[in-house]
Amino acid sequence: MDRTEQRARSILDTLGEELIGILTPVSICMFTVVLLVCLLNSDPSSPSSASFSSIATAAYSESDSDSPWAKLLGAFLNSLVFVAAITLATFLLVLLFYLRCLNFLKLYMAFSAFVVLANLGGEILILLIDRFRFPIDSVTFLILLFNFSVVGVFAVFMSRFSILITQGYLVVIGVLVAYFFTMLPEWTTWVLLVALAVYDLAAVLLPVGPLRLLVEMAISRDEDIPALVYEARPVIRNHHDSRLVQRRVWREQRPSNSSDDVENNEVVTVVRAEEEVSVSVPLIERSRAEESSETFLEGIGLGSSGAIKLGLGDFIFYSVLVGRAAMYDLMTVYACYLAIIAGLGVTLMLLSVYQKALPALPVSILLGVVFYFLARLFLEVFVVQCSSNLVMF
Amino acid sequence: MEASRSDDANLSPNRDRRSNPNPTHNPILSSSQIWPTIDGPLGLTEEASVDYARRFYKFGFALLPWLWAVNCFYFWPVLRHSRAFPQIRNHVVRSAIGFSVFTVLLSAWALTFSIGGEQLFGPVWDKLVMYNVADRLGLSGLT
Repeated sequence: MDRTEQRARSILDTLGEELIGILTPVSICMFTVVLLVCLLNSDPSSPSSASFSSIATAAYSESDSDSPWAKLLGAFLNSLVFVAAITLATFLLVLLFYLRCLNFLKLYMAFSAFVVLANLGGEILILLIDRFRFPIDSVTFLILLFNFSVVGVFAVFMSRFSILITQGYLVVIGVLVAYFFTMLPEWTTWVLLVALAVYDLAAVLLPVGPLRLLVEMAISRDEDIPALVYEARPVIRNHHDSRLVQRRVWREQRPSNSSDDVENNEVVTVVRAEEEVSVSVPLIERSRAEESSETFLEGIGLGSSGAIKLGLGDFIFYSVLVGRAAMYDLMTVYACYLAIIAGLGVTLMLLSVYQKALPALPVSILLGVVFYFLARLFLEVFVVQCSSNLVMF
Repeated sequence: MEASRSDDANLSPNRDRRSNPNPTHNPILSSSQIWPTIDGPLGLTEEASVDYARRFYKFGFALLPWLWAVNCFYFWPVLRHSRAFPQIRNHVVRSAIGFSVFTVLLSAWALTFSIGGEQLFGPVWDKLVMYNVADRLGLSGLT
């Protein structure tokens, strides 16, 4: 009876459940950002470059009259400034974590979540209300916004909270920040994304990288880094031998009809490791600070329960890429979405092989950027020609 | 401490005490204990739940009906199984009542405002409606 039941849950069930647990929120985040971009940017006459100034446009603010070379140079300068600011902020975070100022970090995280939800969320809601001329009065609006933000702060700040609501609020925070980043000038956005992918690679994999230092400190002290990280719901499989904790650690992909003993051993190792309070699989997070200096994290890793963790910075920059693709056409959106999901799948596979903190940005962003330009330059021409000649719709 | 980490200590002793050799996929049925939170074995234990329910109920009085709604959502099994968890049920039921009352009042006001419009309120309507307020205060700009 047990064997057939075990075989009935094939590798697609267990592996697929974990993958779906991380792909769904990423997809929801990207979809929402594309929706917001399509709804709110419908008038092409509004000068997006003039209305958004942040640290990412501090060095150079794009205007339509510049030559492509000047735009490219300006975009490089902007990206340099931004990456430098992020590096500084991350090193500051490492320093604070080293000095064990955990309370300050937690308070700062709660404060930044409140600012994002209330300020950015409020602005986006006002933009939506304005666009649709929704007759809501200011008192009701304030009460709703206040409720939304404060409960969001609770969800992010408190460690034991409803998993679904915490995940929902993290996705909302990702959507809000991503939408604001899509309002950067176009060249700056693309160069910034590539620069951040390279920075990500360096910060996580180099031994001197700030994020690697942070992760190693967290592992050595067996502590949590207080930062905004999305954790998928841990998969609990009901084992026929229920004396064990039903947690699964992502080891090498075993065939689904492996013997019971092997699976028992696997789960037993997890239990023993957790009982010895030694984290068998490290809590892997990497942190970055935003231009408004919030502690978002990037990078993908495994929680101690085997659930996949993905930093909120990854959500944000995937959505920025897709949002910026949406500003051109929906065809590029499809291409970039598939590229990003493929990149995320590759990253997850690498995670299962290497079992340590990995940067989740580089593969997806590079694939996404490549596919965006391929779709824009080649695919569109091809499809338009085919459609206009009634060859393929 | 994270949710995913600290409930291991909660989980294994319960499972050891109530080990059920019948493999089902329903976490509620496989152990004879009902978990008070909607997350089941990943959520809080009963003792911590009482504290949480009470704190959420009290904080909800600060004009936070959404917190009451979250309280009811989180402790949904408490509402469903009316016999178990008397202390938690007390707070959760009061949160539910508070949320319903507040929603009725707020939606009555909001609907009156939006449906009544200018005819009911006169020039005050233009002063109160959100998009005008945002324009006046310059909130709908992005910088």
